Amino acid sequence: MSVIETKALTKVFPGDVRAVDGIDFQVNAGEIFAFLGPNGAGKTTTIKMLNTLILPTSGSARVAGFDVVKHPAEVRKRIGYAAQDVGVDEQATGRENLALYGHFYRLDGKTIKARVKELFELVGLNGYEDKMVSAYSGGMRKRLDLAMGMIHQPQVLFLDEPTTGLDPQTRAHLWDYINNLAKTLGVAIFLTTHYMEEADRLADRIAIIDLGKIMTIGTSDELKKSIGGDVVTLTPCVQKDEDCKEFIRRTEAVLSGKPFVASTRPTDGELAVYVKDGGSAIPGIMQLLGSQGIEVKSISMSRPSLDDVFLKYTGRTIRAQEGARTTFAQLQRKASRRQK
Amino acid sequence: MMNALADTWHIVVRGLRSRIRMPVFIFMSLFQPVLWLVLFTQIFKSLGGSMMGGSSYLQFFAPGVVVMTVLFGSAFSGFGLLMMMDMGILSKMLATPVTRVSIILGQVIAAVVVSIIQAAIIFIIAAIMGVDVATGVPGVLLALFIVALLGLAFAAFSNGLALLVKRQETVMATTNLLTMPLMFMSSTMMPGEALPGWLNTVRHFNPVDYAVVGVRGLVLEGYVWSDLWRSLVVLGALAVVAVAFANMMFRRQAE
Repeated sequence: MSVIETKALTKVFPGDVRAVDGIDFQVNAGEIFAFLGPNGAGKTTTIKMLNTLILPTSGSARVAGFDVVKHPAEVRKRIGYAAQDVGVDEQATGRENLALYGHFYRLDGKTIKARVKELFELVGLNGYEDKMVSAYSGGMRKRLDLAMGMIHQPQVLFLDEPTTGLDPQTRAHLWDYINNLAKTLGVAIFLTTHYMEEADRLADRIAIIDLGKIMTIGTSDELKKSIGGDVVTLTPCVQKDEDCKEFIRRTEAVLSGKPFVASTRPTDGELAVYVKDGGSAIPGIMQLLGSQGIEVKSISMSRPSLDDVFLKYTGRTIRAQEGARTTFAQLQRKASRRQK
Repeated sequence: MMNALADTWHIVVRGLRSRIRMPVFIFMSLFQPVLWLVLFTQIFKSLGGSMMGGSSYLQFFAPGVVVMTVLFGSAFSGFGLLMMMDMGILSKMLATPVTRVSIILGQVIAAVVVSIIQAAIIFIIAAIMGVDVATGVPGVLLALFIVALLGLAFAAFSNGLALLVKRQETVMATTNLLTMPLMFMSSTMMPGEALPGWLNTVRHFNPVDYAVVGVRGLVLEGYVWSDLWRSLVVLGALAVVAVAFANMMFRRQAE
Protein backbone atom coordinates (compact mmCIF):
# COMPACT_ATOMS: atom_id res chain seq x y z
CA MET A 1 0.00 0.00 0.00
CA SER A 2 1.37 3.39 -0.88
CA VAL A 3 0.96 6.35 1.47
CA ILE A 4 2.29 8.87 -1.03
CA GLU A 5 1.58 8.76 -4.72
CA THR A 6 2.26 11.55 -7.20
CA LYS A 7 1.39 11.90 -10.86
CA ALA A 8 3.24 14.47 -12.96
CA LEU A 9 3.38 16.72 -9.90
CA THR A 10 4.53 20.17 -10.98
CA LYS A 11 5.10 23.54 -9.36
CA VAL A 12 5.89 26.59 -11.43
CA PHE A 13 6.70 29.77 -9.54
CA PRO A 14 6.20 33.25 -11.01
CA GLY A 15 8.85 34.01 -13.59
CA ASP A 16 8.36 30.56 -15.12
CA VAL A 17 10.61 28.88 -12.57
CA ARG A 18 9.82 25.19 -12.79
CA ALA A 19 10.81 24.23 -9.24
CA VAL A 20 9.24 20.79 -9.55
CA ASP A 21 8.82 19.49 -13.04
CA GLY A 22 6.40 16.61 -13.46
CA ILE A 23 7.57 14.08 -10.90
CA ASP A 24 6.09 10.61 -10.39
CA PHE A 25 6.89 8.47 -7.39
CA GLN A 26 5.28 6.52 -4.62
CA VAL A 27 6.19 5.81 -1.03
CA ASN A 28 5.02 2.65 0.71
CA ALA A 29 3.63 2.39 4.24
CA GLY A 30 6.37 2.19 6.85
CA GLU A 31 9.10 3.01 4.36
CA ILE A 32 11.84 5.61 4.72
CA PHE A 33 12.09 7.39 1.41
CA ALA A 34 14.73 10.03 0.70
CA PHE A 35 14.83 12.82 -1.84
CA LEU A 36 18.52 13.40 -2.47
CA GLY A 37 19.61 16.48 -4.33
CA PRO A 38 21.38 19.84 -4.10
CA ASN A 39 19.73 23.07 -3.01
CA GLY A 40 17.25 24.38 -5.52
CA ALA A 41 16.56 20.86 -6.79
CA GLY A 42 12.90 21.16 -5.77
CA LYS A 43 13.01 19.10 -2.59
CA THR A 44 11.37 21.58 -0.23
CA THR A 45 8.82 22.59 -2.85
CA THR A 46 7.83 18.94 -3.21
CA ILE A 47 7.41 18.55 0.55
CA LYS A 48 5.31 21.71 0.74
CA MET A 49 2.95 20.44 -1.95
CA LEU A 50 2.63 17.09 -0.21
CA ASN A 51 1.95 18.59 3.23
CA THR A 52 -0.62 21.07 1.80
CA LEU A 53 1.40 24.25 2.45
CA ILE A 54 1.42 25.18 -1.24
CA LEU A 55 -0.76 24.17 -4.16
CA PRO A 56 0.65 22.29 -7.15
CA THR A 57 0.52 24.06 -10.50
CA SER A 58 -0.47 20.83 -12.21
CA GLY A 59 -0.40 17.11 -11.69
CA SER A 60 -1.73 15.41 -8.59
CA ALA A 61 -0.64 13.89 -5.32
CA ARG A 62 -2.36 11.61 -2.84
CA VAL A 63 -1.07 11.47 0.71
CA ALA A 64 -2.44 8.94 3.22
CA GLY A 65 -5.20 8.15 0.75
CA PHE A 66 -6.39 11.72 0.14
CA ASP A 67 -5.82 14.17 -2.66
CA VAL A 68 -3.75 17.11 -1.37
CA VAL A 69 -5.74 19.66 -3.36
CA LYS A 70 -9.26 18.33 -2.87
CA HIS A 71 -9.01 17.16 0.75
CA PRO A 72 -6.18 19.07 2.44
CA ALA A 73 -7.88 18.88 5.85
CA GLU A 74 -7.95 15.07 5.70
CA VAL A 75 -4.30 14.99 4.67
CA ARG A 76 -3.25 17.27 7.54
CA LYS A 77 -4.84 14.97 10.11
CA ARG A 78 -2.64 12.10 8.94
CA ILE A 79 0.77 13.70 8.47
CA GLY A 80 3.53 15.14 10.60
CA TYR A 81 6.03 17.76 9.47
CA ALA A 82 9.42 18.98 10.63
CA ALA A 83 10.83 21.73 8.44
CA GLN A 84 14.46 22.64 8.04
CA ASP A 85 13.96 25.48 10.51
CA VAL A 86 13.10 24.03 13.87
CA GLY A 87 9.55 25.22 14.52
CA VAL A 88 9.56 24.99 18.30
CA ASP A 89 8.54 27.64 20.80
CA GLU A 90 11.52 28.66 22.90
CA GLN A 91 9.49 30.39 25.59
CA ALA A 92 7.73 27.15 26.46
CA THR A 93 8.66 23.79 27.90
CA GLY A 94 9.01 20.68 25.78
CA ARG A 95 5.75 19.36 27.15
CA GLU A 96 3.91 22.59 26.37
CA ASN A 97 5.21 22.51 22.80
CA LEU A 98 4.08 18.95 22.34
CA ALA A 99 0.72 19.52 24.07
CA LEU A 100 -0.10 22.46 21.80
CA TYR A 101 0.22 20.16 18.80
CA GLY A 102 -1.76 17.50 20.60
CA HIS A 103 -4.60 20.01 20.89
CA PHE A 104 -4.31 20.92 17.22
CA TYR A 105 -4.80 17.24 16.38
CA ARG A 106 -7.83 17.10 18.71
CA LEU A 107 -6.29 14.67 21.18
CA ASP A 108 -7.66 14.67 24.72
CA GLY A 109 -5.57 15.53 27.75
CA LYS A 110 -5.04 11.95 28.84
CA THR A 111 -3.86 10.82 25.42
CA ILE A 112 -1.53 13.82 25.17
CA LYS A 113 0.02 12.98 28.53
CA ALA A 114 0.65 9.39 27.50
CA ARG A 115 2.07 10.37 24.10
CA VAL A 116 4.39 12.95 25.64
CA LYS A 117 5.87 10.25 27.84
CA GLU A 118 6.22 7.78 24.99
CA LEU A 119 7.67 10.25 22.49
CA PHE A 120 10.12 11.87 24.89
CA GLU A 121 11.53 8.44 25.55
CA LEU A 122 11.68 7.58 21.85
CA VAL A 123 13.68 10.69 21.01
CA GLY A 124 15.81 10.47 24.14
CA LEU A 125 14.51 13.60 25.83
CA ASN A 126 13.02 11.96 28.91
CA GLY A 127 13.67 14.10 31.96
CA TYR A 128 13.52 17.29 29.88
CA GLU A 129 9.72 17.44 29.53
CA ASP A 130 9.31 20.41 31.82
CA LYS A 131 12.52 22.25 30.98
CA MET A 132 12.31 25.40 28.87
CA VAL A 133 13.19 24.84 25.23
CA SER A 134 15.46 27.90 25.36
CA ALA A 135 17.79 25.70 27.44
CA TYR A 136 17.76 22.86 24.88
CA SER A 137 20.72 22.30 22.56
CA GLY A 138 20.29 22.37 18.77
CA GLY A 139 20.05 18.60 18.55
CA MET A 140 17.50 18.46 21.37
CA ARG A 141 15.33 21.07 19.68
CA LYS A 142 15.38 19.06 16.49
CA ARG A 143 14.35 15.92 18.35
CA LEU A 144 11.50 17.82 20.01
CA ASP A 145 10.55 19.08 16.55
CA LEU A 146 10.37 15.48 15.31
CA ALA A 147 8.30 14.43 18.31
CA MET A 148 5.83 17.29 17.67
CA GLY A 149 5.16 15.86 14.24
CA MET A 150 4.48 12.43 15.72
CA ILE A 151 2.08 13.16 18.57
CA HIS A 152 -1.00 12.05 16.62
CA GLN A 153 0.59 8.88 15.24
CA PRO A 154 0.56 10.03 11.61
CA GLN A 155 0.90 7.72 8.63
CA VAL A 156 3.60 9.87 7.07
CA LEU A 157 6.24 12.08 8.64
CA PHE A 158 7.81 14.73 6.39
CA LEU A 159 11.35 15.74 7.32
CA ASP A 160 12.88 18.57 5.34
CA GLU A 161 16.66 18.49 5.68
CA PRO A 162 16.46 17.01 9.18
CA THR A 163 20.14 17.32 10.06
CA THR A 164 21.28 20.44 8.24
CA GLY A 165 23.24 22.70 10.55
CA LEU A 166 23.95 20.00 13.13
CA ASP A 167 27.42 18.75 13.94
CA PRO A 168 28.37 15.27 12.66
CA GLN A 169 27.97 13.56 16.01
CA THR A 170 24.54 15.01 16.67
CA ARG A 171 23.61 14.11 13.11
CA ALA A 172 24.53 10.45 13.61
CA HIS A 173 22.48 10.39 16.82
CA LEU A 174 19.51 11.90 15.07
CA TRP A 175 19.66 9.21 12.41
CA ASP A 176 19.27 6.62 15.13
CA TYR A 177 16.26 8.43 16.55
CA ILE A 178 14.64 8.79 13.12
CA ASN A 179 15.19 5.12 12.44
CA ASN A 180 13.79 4.31 15.84
CA LEU A 181 10.64 6.34 15.23
CA ALA A 182 10.08 4.72 11.86
CA LYS A 183 10.61 1.18 13.04
CA THR A 184 8.88 1.46 16.44
CA LEU A 185 5.82 3.38 15.29
CA GLY A 186 5.62 2.05 11.74
CA VAL A 187 5.37 5.52 10.24
CA ALA A 188 6.46 6.18 6.67
CA ILE A 189 9.11 8.88 6.48
CA PHE A 190 9.64 11.15 3.51
CA LEU A 191 12.86 13.05 3.97
CA THR A 192 14.89 15.40 1.87
CA THR A 193 18.62 15.75 2.18
CA HIS A 194 21.74 16.84 0.38
CA TYR A 195 23.90 14.54 2.49
CA MET A 196 24.82 11.34 0.65
CA GLU A 197 25.59 9.59 3.89
CA GLU A 198 22.21 10.48 5.34
CA ALA A 199 20.34 9.01 2.40
CA ASP A 200 22.63 6.00 2.42
CA ARG A 201 22.24 5.31 6.13
CA LEU A 202 18.55 6.04 6.60
CA ALA A 203 16.58 5.48 3.47
CA ASP A 204 15.02 2.27 2.23
CA ARG A 205 14.75 3.90 -1.17
CA ILE A 206 16.30 7.01 -2.63
CA ALA A 207 15.14 9.32 -5.41
CA ILE A 208 17.82 11.49 -6.94
CA ILE A 209 16.34 14.84 -7.81
CA ASP A 210 17.95 17.65 -9.75
CA LEU A 211 16.46 20.77 -11.35
CA GLY A 212 12.95 19.68 -10.42
CA LYS A 213 13.14 16.27 -12.03
CA ILE A 214 13.62 12.80 -10.59
CA MET A 215 16.66 11.32 -12.30
CA THR A 216 16.38 7.83 -10.84
CA ILE A 217 14.82 5.92 -7.95
CA GLY A 218 16.06 2.81 -6.18
CA THR A 219 17.62 1.35 -3.07
CA SER A 220 21.11 2.53 -2.29
CA ASP A 221 22.53 -0.77 -3.54
CA GLU A 222 20.52 -0.72 -6.74
CA LEU A 223 21.67 2.79 -7.51
CA LYS A 224 25.30 1.93 -6.88
CA LYS A 225 25.07 -1.21 -8.98
CA SER A 226 23.64 0.79 -11.85
CA ILE A 227 27.06 2.38 -12.16
CA GLY A 228 28.98 -0.84 -12.66
CA GLY A 229 31.84 -2.31 -10.70
CA ASP A 230 34.40 0.22 -9.53
CA VAL A 231 35.20 3.88 -9.85
CA VAL A 232 38.75 4.83 -10.76
CA THR A 233 39.41 8.49 -10.04
CA LEU A 234 42.24 10.14 -11.94
CA THR A 235 43.72 13.44 -10.87
CA PRO A 236 45.83 14.62 -13.78
CA CYS A 237 46.81 18.05 -12.55
CA VAL A 238 47.57 19.97 -9.39
CA GLN A 239 45.96 23.29 -10.25
CA LYS A 240 42.36 23.48 -11.37
CA ASP A 241 42.74 25.88 -14.28
CA GLU A 242 41.91 25.93 -17.98
CA ASP A 243 44.96 23.82 -18.83
CA CYS A 244 43.70 21.24 -16.39
CA LYS A 245 40.29 21.12 -18.06
CA GLU A 246 41.96 20.62 -21.41
CA PHE A 247 44.09 17.90 -19.88
CA ILE A 248 41.05 16.12 -18.49
CA ARG A 249 39.32 16.36 -21.87
CA ARG A 250 42.31 14.73 -23.54
CA THR A 251 42.44 12.01 -20.89
CA GLU A 252 38.77 11.33 -21.32
CA ALA A 253 39.11 11.16 -25.10
CA VAL A 254 41.84 8.57 -24.79
CA LEU A 255 39.89 6.35 -22.39
CA SER A 256 36.31 6.54 -23.58
CA GLY A 257 35.17 3.74 -25.82
CA LYS A 258 37.83 1.34 -24.62
CA PRO A 259 36.45 -2.14 -23.87
CA PHE A 260 37.29 -2.13 -20.13
CA VAL A 261 35.82 1.35 -19.56
CA ALA A 262 32.06 1.49 -18.92
CA SER A 263 31.83 5.28 -18.88
CA THR A 264 33.73 8.38 -17.90
CA ARG A 265 32.74 11.61 -16.27
CA PRO A 266 34.84 14.71 -15.71
CA THR A 267 34.43 16.79 -12.57
CA ASP A 268 36.22 19.71 -11.10
CA GLY A 269 39.89 18.76 -11.50
CA GLU A 270 39.23 15.05 -11.64
CA LEU A 271 38.07 12.38 -14.02
CA ALA A 272 35.88 9.54 -12.82
CA VAL A 273 36.25 6.35 -14.84
CA TYR A 274 33.62 3.67 -14.29
CA VAL A 275 34.98 0.18 -14.90
CA LYS A 276 33.82 -3.37 -14.34
CA ASP A 277 36.82 -4.41 -12.29
CA GLY A 278 39.17 -1.77 -10.95
CA GLY A 279 42.09 -4.06 -10.13
CA SER A 280 42.54 -5.23 -13.69
CA ALA A 281 41.58 -1.95 -15.33
CA ILE A 282 44.16 0.27 -13.64
CA PRO A 283 47.23 -1.20 -15.40
CA GLY A 284 45.43 -0.87 -18.72
CA ILE A 285 44.51 2.74 -18.01
CA MET A 286 48.05 3.61 -16.97
CA GLN A 287 49.52 1.98 -20.02
CA LEU A 288 47.10 3.69 -22.35
CA LEU A 289 47.69 7.11 -20.83
CA GLY A 290 51.45 6.54 -20.76
CA SER A 291 51.49 5.70 -24.45
CA GLN A 292 49.75 9.05 -25.13
CA GLY A 293 52.20 10.93 -22.98
CA ILE A 294 49.57 11.82 -20.36
CA GLU A 295 50.98 11.98 -16.88
CA VAL A 296 48.60 11.41 -13.99
CA LYS A 297 49.38 12.97 -10.62
CA SER A 298 47.33 10.51 -8.60
CA ILE A 299 44.99 7.62 -9.10
CA SER A 300 42.56 6.02 -6.68
CA MET A 301 39.96 3.31 -6.78
CA SER A 302 36.74 2.95 -4.81
CA ARG A 303 33.43 1.19 -4.72
CA PRO A 304 30.75 3.43 -6.19
CA SER A 305 29.21 5.83 -3.68
CA LEU A 306 25.98 7.77 -3.97
CA ASP A 307 28.21 10.65 -5.01
CA ASP A 308 29.12 8.67 -8.09
CA VAL A 309 25.49 7.84 -8.67
CA PHE A 310 24.58 11.48 -8.41
CA LEU A 311 27.41 12.39 -10.75
CA LYS A 312 26.32 9.82 -13.25
CA TYR A 313 22.70 10.97 -13.37
CA THR A 314 23.21 14.71 -13.11
CA GLY A 315 26.73 15.30 -14.39
CA ARG A 316 27.51 17.21 -11.20
CA THR A 317 28.66 16.44 -7.68
CA ILE A 318 26.73 17.51 -4.63
CA ARG A 319 29.04 19.48 -2.45
CA ALA A 320 28.41 19.86 1.20
CA GLN A 321 29.10 23.58 1.15
CA GLU A 322 26.36 24.05 -1.41
CA GLY A 323 23.96 22.96 1.26
CA ALA A 324 25.32 25.01 4.09
CA ARG A 325 22.63 27.62 3.80
CA THR A 326 22.16 29.67 6.92
CA THR A 327 18.97 31.65 7.12
CA PHE A 328 18.66 34.97 8.85
CA ALA A 329 16.41 33.40 11.46
CA GLN A 330 19.02 30.75 12.25
CA LEU A 331 21.67 33.43 12.67
CA GLN A 332 19.40 35.37 14.99
CA ARG A 333 18.76 32.32 17.09
CA LYS A 334 22.44 31.52 17.28
CA ALA A 335 23.10 35.06 18.44
CA SER A 336 20.39 34.90 21.09
CA ARG A 337 21.71 31.58 22.34
CA ARG A 338 25.18 33.02 22.64
CA GLN A 339 23.86 35.84 24.78
CA LYS A 340 22.58 33.32 27.27
CA MET B 1 -16.78 26.09 15.50
CA MET B 2 -15.81 24.43 18.79
CA ASN B 3 -12.48 23.54 17.23
CA ALA B 4 -11.94 27.14 16.19
CA LEU B 5 -12.64 28.37 19.72
CA ALA B 6 -10.39 25.74 21.29
CA ASP B 7 -7.57 26.47 18.84
CA THR B 8 -7.87 30.21 19.44
CA TRP B 9 -7.76 29.62 23.18
CA HIS B 10 -4.58 27.53 22.90
CA ILE B 11 -2.89 30.14 20.69
CA VAL B 12 -3.86 32.91 23.13
CA VAL B 13 -2.48 30.89 26.06
CA ARG B 14 0.72 30.31 24.10
CA GLY B 15 1.06 34.04 23.40
CA LEU B 16 0.36 35.10 26.99
CA ARG B 17 2.66 32.44 28.39
CA SER B 18 5.63 33.48 26.30
CA ARG B 19 5.13 37.14 27.23
CA ILE B 20 4.81 36.45 30.95
CA ARG B 21 8.08 34.55 30.78
CA MET B 22 9.88 37.62 29.55
CA PRO B 23 9.65 39.88 32.61
CA VAL B 24 12.05 42.30 30.96
CA PHE B 25 9.52 42.80 28.18
CA ILE B 26 6.70 43.54 30.63
CA PHE B 27 8.85 45.97 32.58
CA MET B 28 10.10 47.76 29.47
CA SER B 29 6.66 48.15 27.96
CA LEU B 30 5.31 49.62 31.20
CA PHE B 31 8.32 51.81 31.78
CA GLN B 32 7.58 54.10 28.86
CA PRO B 33 3.97 55.01 29.77
CA VAL B 34 4.93 55.53 33.40
CA LEU B 35 7.71 57.83 32.24
CA TRP B 36 5.19 59.83 30.19
CA LEU B 37 2.86 60.02 33.13
CA VAL B 38 5.55 61.37 35.42
CA LEU B 39 7.54 63.49 32.97
CA PHE B 40 4.76 65.07 30.92
CA THR B 41 2.72 65.99 33.93
CA GLN B 42 5.76 67.78 35.28
CA ILE B 43 6.53 69.56 32.00
CA PHE B 44 2.95 70.75 31.51
CA LYS B 45 2.18 71.34 35.16
CA SER B 46 1.43 75.00 34.60
CA LEU B 47 -1.25 74.08 32.06
CA GLY B 48 -3.76 72.92 34.63
CA GLY B 49 -6.85 74.81 35.64
CA SER B 50 -9.32 76.50 33.36
CA MET B 51 -7.67 75.33 30.14
CA MET B 52 -8.02 71.68 31.18
CA GLY B 53 -11.65 72.09 32.13
CA GLY B 54 -10.81 72.77 35.73
CA SER B 55 -8.66 69.71 36.38
CA SER B 56 -4.93 69.25 36.86
CA TYR B 57 -2.82 68.28 33.85
CA LEU B 58 -2.19 64.89 35.48
CA GLN B 59 -5.90 64.28 35.71
CA PHE B 60 -6.32 65.40 32.10
CA PHE B 61 -3.35 63.49 30.68
CA ALA B 62 -3.73 60.13 32.52
CA PRO B 63 -6.52 58.85 30.18
CA GLY B 64 -4.27 59.74 27.23
CA VAL B 65 -1.46 57.63 28.69
CA VAL B 66 -3.86 54.71 29.11
CA VAL B 67 -4.80 54.97 25.43
CA MET B 68 -1.16 55.36 24.33
CA THR B 69 -0.17 52.26 26.30
CA VAL B 70 -2.70 50.18 24.42
CA LEU B 71 -1.94 51.84 21.08
CA PHE B 72 1.78 51.09 21.24
CA GLY B 73 1.30 47.69 22.83
CA SER B 74 -0.98 46.50 20.06
CA ALA B 75 0.38 48.37 17.05
CA PHE B 76 3.69 46.53 17.22
CA SER B 77 2.17 43.09 17.81
CA GLY B 78 2.60 42.03 14.17
CA PHE B 79 6.24 41.36 14.98
CA GLY B 80 5.21 38.25 16.87
CA LEU B 81 3.72 36.79 13.73
CA LEU B 82 6.80 37.70 11.68
CA MET B 83 8.97 35.95 14.24
CA MET B 84 6.75 32.88 13.96
CA MET B 85 7.19 32.98 10.20
CA ASP B 86 10.96 33.45 10.36
CA MET B 87 11.41 30.65 12.86
CA GLY B 88 9.32 28.17 10.88
CA ILE B 89 6.71 27.94 13.64
CA LEU B 90 3.91 29.19 11.40
CA SER B 91 4.44 26.75 8.54
CA LYS B 92 4.74 23.90 11.00
CA MET B 93 1.39 24.90 12.48
CA LEU B 94 -0.21 25.26 9.07
CA ALA B 95 0.63 21.66 8.26
CA THR B 96 -1.67 20.59 11.13
CA PRO B 97 -5.50 20.64 11.16
CA VAL B 98 -5.44 23.83 13.27
CA THR B 99 -8.27 26.20 12.30
CA ARG B 100 -6.66 28.84 10.09
CA VAL B 101 -8.45 31.85 11.51
CA SER B 102 -7.52 30.81 15.06
CA ILE B 103 -3.85 31.51 14.49
CA ILE B 104 -4.36 35.14 13.55
CA LEU B 105 -7.17 35.67 16.07
CA GLY B 106 -5.14 34.08 18.86
CA GLN B 107 -2.14 36.28 18.11
CA VAL B 108 -4.29 39.42 18.06
CA ILE B 109 -6.25 38.58 21.21
CA ALA B 110 -3.09 37.73 23.17
CA ALA B 111 -1.64 41.13 22.26
CA VAL B 112 -4.84 42.90 23.27
CA VAL B 113 -5.10 41.05 26.59
CA VAL B 114 -1.54 42.01 27.50
CA SER B 115 -2.06 45.67 26.64
CA ILE B 116 -5.33 45.75 28.59
CA ILE B 117 -3.51 44.41 31.65
CA GLN B 118 -0.91 47.12 31.14
CA ALA B 119 -3.64 49.74 30.80
CA ALA B 120 -5.16 48.54 34.09
CA ILE B 121 -1.77 48.86 35.76
CA ILE B 122 -1.47 52.41 34.41
CA PHE B 123 -4.88 53.20 35.90
CA ILE B 124 -3.68 51.93 39.26
CA ILE B 125 -0.45 53.92 39.10
CA ALA B 126 -2.41 57.01 38.08
CA ALA B 127 -4.76 56.51 41.02
CA ILE B 128 -1.77 56.27 43.35
CA MET B 129 -0.43 59.51 41.87
CA GLY B 130 -3.73 61.15 42.76
CA VAL B 131 -5.94 60.76 39.71
CA ASP B 132 -9.59 60.59 40.64
CA VAL B 133 -11.86 58.64 38.28
CA ALA B 134 -15.32 60.24 38.26
CA THR B 135 -17.13 57.00 37.40
CA GLY B 136 -15.16 54.75 39.76
CA VAL B 137 -14.36 51.12 39.11
CA PRO B 138 -17.28 50.47 36.69
CA GLY B 139 -16.07 53.44 34.65
CA VAL B 140 -12.54 52.03 34.58
CA LEU B 141 -13.91 48.72 33.30
CA LEU B 142 -15.83 50.51 30.55
CA ALA B 143 -12.69 52.51 29.74
CA LEU B 144 -10.72 49.28 29.45
CA PHE B 145 -13.36 47.94 27.08
CA ILE B 146 -13.05 51.04 24.89
CA VAL B 147 -9.26 50.73 24.69
CA ALA B 148 -9.65 46.99 24.09
CA LEU B 149 -11.54 47.84 20.88
CA LEU B 150 -8.77 50.24 19.90
CA GLY B 151 -6.19 47.56 20.70
CA LEU B 152 -8.10 44.98 18.68
CA ALA B 153 -8.16 47.30 15.68
CA PHE B 154 -4.47 48.15 15.82
CA ALA B 155 -3.25 44.65 16.68
CA ALA B 156 -5.24 43.19 13.80
CA PHE B 157 -4.00 45.91 11.46
CA SER B 158 -0.42 45.29 12.58
CA ASN B 159 -0.71 41.54 12.00
CA GLY B 160 -2.32 42.09 8.60
CA LEU B 161 0.43 44.53 7.66
CA ALA B 162 3.11 42.07 8.80
CA LEU B 163 1.58 39.42 6.55
CA LEU B 164 1.39 41.88 3.68
CA VAL B 165 4.97 43.17 3.72
CA LYS B 166 6.68 40.28 5.57
CA ARG B 167 9.66 42.39 6.60
CA GLN B 168 10.36 43.51 10.14
CA GLU B 169 12.03 46.73 8.99
CA THR B 170 9.04 47.75 6.89
CA VAL B 171 6.56 46.97 9.64
CA MET B 172 8.67 48.94 12.12
CA ALA B 173 8.93 51.97 9.85
CA THR B 174 5.24 51.95 8.91
CA THR B 175 4.11 51.53 12.49
CA ASN B 176 6.31 54.35 13.73
CA LEU B 177 5.15 56.54 10.88
CA LEU B 178 1.56 55.87 11.85
CA THR B 179 1.42 55.79 15.65
CA MET B 180 3.32 59.00 16.41
CA PRO B 181 1.16 61.33 14.25
CA LEU B 182 -1.97 59.53 15.43
CA MET B 183 -0.99 60.35 18.99
CA PHE B 184 -0.13 64.00 18.32
CA MET B 185 -3.04 64.65 15.98
CA SER B 186 -5.53 63.94 18.74
CA SER B 187 -6.59 65.43 22.02
CA THR B 188 -4.23 63.11 23.90
CA MET B 189 -2.05 65.96 25.16
CA MET B 190 -4.20 69.02 24.67
CA PRO B 191 -7.95 69.53 24.76
CA GLY B 192 -9.43 69.78 21.29
CA GLU B 193 -10.47 73.38 21.85
CA ALA B 194 -6.88 74.34 22.64
CA LEU B 195 -5.59 72.81 19.41
CA PRO B 196 -5.23 74.86 16.20
CA GLY B 197 -8.42 74.74 14.15
CA TRP B 198 -7.14 72.34 11.47
CA LEU B 199 -5.92 69.85 14.07
CA ASN B 200 -9.21 70.03 15.87
CA THR B 201 -10.84 69.05 12.57
CA VAL B 202 -8.34 66.34 11.69
CA ARG B 203 -8.69 64.63 15.06
CA HIS B 204 -12.26 63.68 14.24
CA PHE B 205 -10.86 61.30 11.61
CA ASN B 206 -8.43 59.79 14.09
CA PRO B 207 -9.50 56.59 15.90
CA VAL B 208 -7.07 57.31 18.73
CA ASP B 209 -8.99 60.50 19.50
CA TYR B 210 -12.25 58.57 19.88
CA ALA B 211 -10.60 56.34 22.47
CA VAL B 212 -9.12 59.33 24.31
CA VAL B 213 -12.41 61.26 24.34
CA GLY B 214 -14.29 58.19 25.61
CA VAL B 215 -11.85 57.34 28.38
CA ARG B 216 -11.31 60.95 29.40
CA GLY B 217 -15.03 61.54 29.75
CA LEU B 218 -15.25 58.62 32.18
CA VAL B 219 -12.32 59.92 34.21
CA LEU B 220 -13.15 63.65 34.29
CA GLU B 221 -16.90 63.96 33.91
CA GLY B 222 -18.94 60.81 34.23
CA TYR B 223 -21.05 58.85 31.75
CA VAL B 224 -21.34 61.19 28.78
CA TRP B 225 -23.29 58.72 26.69
CA SER B 226 -23.28 60.71 23.47
CA ASP B 227 -19.45 60.63 23.46
CA LEU B 228 -19.28 57.06 24.74
CA TRP B 229 -21.56 55.66 22.06
CA ARG B 230 -19.65 57.47 19.35
CA SER B 231 -16.37 56.00 20.67
CA LEU B 232 -17.79 52.49 20.96
CA VAL B 233 -19.35 52.50 17.49
CA VAL B 234 -16.35 54.01 15.67
CA LEU B 235 -13.78 51.79 17.41
CA GLY B 236 -15.98 48.71 17.16
CA ALA B 237 -16.43 49.20 13.43
CA LEU B 238 -12.72 49.80 12.97
CA ALA B 239 -11.91 46.63 14.91
CA VAL B 240 -14.23 44.59 12.69
CA VAL B 241 -12.64 45.99 9.52
CA ALA B 242 -9.11 45.44 10.83
CA VAL B 243 -9.78 41.84 11.89
CA ALA B 244 -11.31 41.15 8.49
CA PHE B 245 -8.21 42.65 6.84
CA ALA B 246 -5.87 40.55 8.98
CA ASN B 247 -7.86 37.41 8.26
CA MET B 248 -7.84 38.15 4.54
CA MET B 249 -4.08 38.67 4.55
CA PHE B 250 -3.60 35.48 6.52
CA ARG B 251 -5.69 33.44 4.11
CA ARG B 252 -3.73 34.86 1.21
CA GLN B 253 -0.52 33.83 2.95
CA ALA B 254 -1.73 30.39 3.99
CA GLU B 255 -2.80 29.40 0.50
